[in-house]
Parts: sequence; C-alpha cells; structure tokens
Amino acid sequence: MTAPLGGGSESTTRAAAQPIAARPSAAARWWRTNTSRRLAFGYLLLAPAALYVLLLVGIPFLFSLYLAMSDASVGDQMATFVGLANFRAAWEMDTFWDALRNSVVFLVVAAIFKSILGTSLAFLLLQNFKGKKLVRALVVIPFTLPITVTVLSWKWMYDSQFSVINWGLHKAGLIGGYGSESWPIWLGQPHLALIACIGVNVWRSFPFSAIVLLAGFTSVPTEVLDAARVDGCSFFQRFRHIVTPMIFPILIIGFLFDTVFTLSDLSVVYVLTQGGPGSATMILPMLAYQIGIQAGSLGRGSAIALTLVPLLFPALFLMLRNIKRRDW
Amino acid sequence: MSDQHPVQTDHASHSRRRFLKVAGAGAAGASLLTMLDARQAPAQIKGTTLRILTWSHFIPAYDVWFDKFSAEWGDKNGVKVKVDHIPHLEIPARMAAEYAAGAGHDIINNNSTILARLYYKSLLDLTDVFDGLGKKYGGWIPAAKSPIEVEGKIYGIPQYYILLPMLWRKDLFEANGLKPPDTWELARVAARTLKPKGNPTGIAFSHCNDANLVWRSLAYSFGATEADPSGDNPTIDSKEMREALRFAKALFDEGMTPEVFSWDDASDNRFLASGIAGWIHDAISAYRTTESTNPTVFKNTYVGLEPAGPSGKRVHCVAPIVFLSWKFSKNPQAVKEYLAALGDADKDGMIASTGYNMPFLNDNAKKPMPILGADPKLQVLQDFPKIVAFFGYPGPYTPQIQEVGLQFVLPDIFTRVARGQSVDDSVKWGVGEYRRIFSKHKKA
Repeated sequence: MTAPLGGGSESTTRAAAQPIAARPSAAARWWRTNTSRRLAFGYLLLAPAALYVLLLVGIPFLFSLYLAMSDASVGDQMATFVGLANFRAAWEMDTFWDALRNSVVFLVVAAIFKSILGTSLAFLLLQNFKGKKLVRALVVIPFTLPITVTVLSWKWMYDSQFSVINWGLHKAGLIGGYGSESWPIWLGQPHLALIACIGVNVWRSFPFSAIVLLAGFTSVPTEVLDAARVDGCSFFQRFRHIVTPMIFPILIIGFLFDTVFTLSDLSVVYVLTQGGPGSATMILPMLAYQIGIQAGSLGRGSAIALTLVPLLFPALFLMLRNIKRRDW
Repeated sequence: MSDQHPVQTDHASHSRRRFLKVAGAGAAGASLLTMLDARQAPAQIKGTTLRILTWSHFIPAYDVWFDKFSAEWGDKNGVKVKVDHIPHLEIPARMAAEYAAGAGHDIINNNSTILARLYYKSLLDLTDVFDGLGKKYGGWIPAAKSPIEVEGKIYGIPQYYILLPMLWRKDLFEANGLKPPDTWELARVAARTLKPKGNPTGIAFSHCNDANLVWRSLAYSFGATEADPSGDNPTIDSKEMREALRFAKALFDEGMTPEVFSWDDASDNRFLASGIAGWIHDAISAYRTTESTNPTVFKNTYVGLEPAGPSGKRVHCVAPIVFLSWKFSKNPQAVKEYLAALGDADKDGMIASTGYNMPFLNDNAKKPMPILGADPKLQVLQDFPKIVAFFGYPGPYTPQIQEVGLQFVLPDIFTRVARGQSVDDSVKWGVGEYRRIFSKHKKA
C-alpha cells in the first residue's frame, strides 16, 4: 500500500475513496520532472544516430550471424539452422588457419610500418618548407586513387619478368639479371608475396595515418611545447611525455579505423595474388569472398568472415576503455 | 456418404485440367517454335526493354560486334536493348546481388564460373531454345550440356568456349632438332633442351584461370579424372594423377623458372611476346597480340593440338561461356527470342572474335570454321571440339567442382609437388580438400 502523504484522517479517507488508477504513480511523477524531460529530449536527439547504427551495422551483423548458423546459399532462399557446423567446417580447413595467421601477420606488420612511416611523414609535414602545400596534396594520392588502379600498377612493378623494382636493384648491382638465382619473384615466393601485399597496403594507407597524426600534432598547444623546450626537454621527451598523451584519443581512433580497414580489405590480395602462391597470401576476407560469394556458400563464407569479430572485439573494448579512463 | 463417386468426379476434373494444360503448353510451345523458326518476334515483346549483363571480352572487337548485334536485334523487334559489360570475375557477386534483390538484368553472362546449378530454381527454363538451336544446327557438342543441365532441364544457352592450345616457336624447335610438341613427352624434351639456351617454357603454378585449365588438361590427358560420372565423388587419388604430378615436377625442374609461381593469366602472353618462351599453353590471344608487339615471334609461333598423354589420350579443359536468365525477368519472351537469334548469329560472332570463340553447335564446328579454316596456322583448332571437357571431367560441372576450381585446389596440388612436397603428401592434402568441399555440398 502507498503511505499517506497528508497525514490527516480526512485526507486519508479521501485518498482511500479515490480509485487507484487515478493516482499518479512514482514513475509517472518522475516522468513530469524537468530532468526526465531533458533526458527524453536527449534520447530523442540521439535516436536518428542510434537508428542509423542499428539499421546499417546492427541488422547486417545479426543477418551475417544468422547466415553463419544456416546452410544458406546464394541460389536458395530457404535456409535451415545448422548451429556451429559452418564454423567447424572452417576450422577443418588448412587454408582457414593459413588465412587467419596471414591476417594477423598482415595486420601487425602493416600497423608497425604505417605507424613509423605515418609519424615520420606527419613530422615532415609539420615543418615549414617551400612547396609544403603541394607536398601535402601529393602524399594523399595513394589513399585517394581507386584501389584497383594503384594495385594493378603495383602488379606490374612486381612482374616476374618486367619488374621495375628488380630492374632498379639490378642496375644498382644488388641482384643478378633476369633468370638468375638472386632475381626476386615477388609474387611467386611465399614470403616475398606476403611482403609484397603488405607493402602495397602500407604504401596505400600510411598517408591516412600521417594525416590523422598531423591533425593531432597541430592540436597540441605550442605554449606547452615551448614551455617544455625551455625546461630542457629533448625532442623525444616532448614527443613521449607531452605530444603522445595529448593526442592519444586521436591515435586510438586512427588505429581502430586502420585495423578495421586492413582486416577487411581484400582488394590488394585479390588483385595481386588471389591468395597464392598456395595459401601464402590468403587472408580471411579473401577466403570468405571465395567461398561465400564466388562459390555461393553464404553460410560458410559468413562464418569465416565472422571469425574476425572475436579477434577485434577485445581489442576494441580495451582501447575504448583506455580512452574513457583517461577521461578525455 | 455425401459423395458416392468421388474418384470419378475428381478424375473428370483432372482430365479437363490436364487437357487444358497440355493444350496450352502445346500451343505455346508450337507458337514459340514457329516464331523461332520464322525469326519473327511476337507482337507482345514490342516496346519492352531487355537488359543484358555480359563480360568484357578479351577481344574488344567482339564486344563491338556484340553491342551492334544487340542494338540491331532490338531495333528490328521493337525492343530497347541495354548491354552492360563488366569484368567476368565480378559476375558471381553481381548475380548474388540481383538474386537477393529479385530484380536486375534479363540475361546474364557466365564465364568460367557457371552458376546455373547453383541458381537453377530461380532461372528461366531455356530447354525449348536449347533444343530449337540444336535441331537447327546439327546438335550440340557433347560437353555442351554439362554446365547447364539440372534434372533434365536446360537453364542456360552455351555461347562459346575458349581454347588454350600449345603455342610453340617453330624456329627454336627446328634450330635444336626438336619435334613439334604433339605429346606431353615431346613438350618436356623441348623444354629440357630449350631452357639452358635461354628459352624456358612456362605454365602458371598459381591462383589463376590458366593454371586451373592447363593442369587439368595435362592430368586428364594422362588418364586422371576429377569426379565420377555422377559428379558426387572425387576421383583424383589415382595412379594416373600421380603420374601426371611426377611429370609436372620434372617439367618444372627441367624446363621452367620459378617465376611461374607468380603468374597471372596474362603473364604467359608477355612471356611469349618477349621472345623468351620456347612454348606456352595458352589462348590464341597470346599469339595474336604478338602480331603487333613482336612480329618475329608472331611469324615463328605455331599452334598445336592438345599434347597427348602417355597412352595417346588428349583431353582439353576449357572455360565455357553461357547465358542465363532469371525466372523473375519481366521479359522472358524477349529473352528467348534474343538468345535464339544470337545462336543464329554464332558464326558472325566467331568471325568478330577473330577465331577466339569456339562454337558449341555441331554445324558451326564443322570444317572449315570461319577464320580458323582459312588460316594455315590455326586450322588445327578445328580439331578441338572432339576433345573438349570441363572441370570435373568426366563428371558434370557441379557447384562443388566449381568451388574446387575457385579455391584453386588442383593447381595447388601441382604447386606443392613442384615446390618439393612428395606426390603422396600432395595428393593426400588434395583429396582432403576435395572431400571436404564435396561433403559440404552433399549435405546442402
């Protein structure tokens, strides 16, 4: 029973005479407060974004989960639930494990090189020099050109017979001529092929890293840096103790974007090697595409593609938690 | 009981229905056959639109002809024809999207990856067009039905296939006292002789279509098979397959350089055009392009039949090109009319492709074929229709064998052996992959 608020016997009698439904409950009263109205308005403003995420991310994700647990194929609208059979089928494939290993190697090695090159480029672009604007425009070209066009150009540069890279190395006296033992077959030797694919990914993406870092660097107040300089901090001390902590959220967001782009990108491998030689350059998106779309087994293809989620999710969680802890 | 003669009543009703069905189907079939025979479009297709999705042919002149033919057919029949060309590797993804949307092109080209067996429940039954063309042009070559027939019905119209014959340098062979590569053994001897002189051979050991086709031709010619006639069981674990693998290893060691591990479909074209290759096993486009890029090579390159295996067997694995149509196409009548007309123009297409397109229809495969019959170097290509096979030989071109092809399992077995893995281990790995893929499709 609700306790009487008035305290008098008359009011108690009147309250008891009122029908229970007519009395505003605690929840209804809370609803009328200014705080609740502000909250509701806030949620209303957030609703389009939430709906957008639900429609464009949530539903496709749930749909791929459904596909991964069914025997769906591209040519049949009827699919039956098969549980984890598609995941088991993927795990039974040697190629799947090769693809998983290559995807991780691809991601880590590419990330290291993109960080080094991106940071270096960002620092270079911070300096004042003649033609700076032109250089800034030029460095984004690899990132802005259509990927197929650029990767095809790389394919030519890696050609086993007419490689301009090999020609340059040969002219520099570093390797023998065409047909000699030391003539690298970039896309034919397993380790070189993976390096070649990573190289193209790094070349294409490090300007993006540089731009993200450049945005971060320019947001660091010069007064803080000047003060540190006056206090006798070296370049690396300023970088480690001032710049990096201040741009950390930007770094994390950039890193997240890059991780997702790298792990989900199949264009480089598709155009350069189709996953070969053997399965030396096979990565999970390529394998998922081959099985899910080309061979038509949507269920198995989705299961392979979804393998990336458990890999990405903990990393994503840790990074976002780190940002939150830093209270930015 | 309320109805004392239920069976009789039912029977009568069924008879009437059956009569109407049979009569209707007969009338429709007869009128279609009449129209196909008379090459006259029915009035109902006038004012409609026909959308065609096809690949970008390796011979651009063929695309020019195809677009012109389609436009002229449209003008003649009052149909607005729109042709879209895309790279053939993108077609499976496009088909999946159209299927999901339940809308798209009326006619879709399938190249190498023939999706008729995968989508047949949603494809237009084209048996009448297939039979009509077959009747008119002396039937189809034996391999024609394999990629498009499901449960006795035909879901696609074969257009042409592309050969990958032996292209060999007569000048180099003669200078070294070598016989033409009429057998795989002679090809190996030539490779072994020419490599030390700076003219190695090359077959792609990589993830490309050429590797899928050429290693299959070699294996089949050695007597190996890929699946049983039902198409349900892989049969690669055989003495003949092991023999073919041992031969390929020797051919690689003696006559090739490691660059073949990196090759794509155009690498051997460049290899021939550069003047280095002693012989390659590739489409005639490789030979034709040298006419402008390296006339000396063009003059000295000759075209050979598929080399025979140890027992004299010749089987040539090719990539078929077929046209399919969706059941949800809003214009099935125009689809059938168009495909029948395209079948009639098969020879014109062969001419436009400069002999690149090979015919599925027997009458068009008779000697002399257009272009090929008139060119002394290319005349031998007219003997190929008898030895043509597709993936999965001698079984049909099933979705499981396509998945094997798309994952390049067979070229990978050859690659493993060439890289030094034992034949037994490579076959064991390959059998595992085949069984895994086949069992998935069986369950499905």
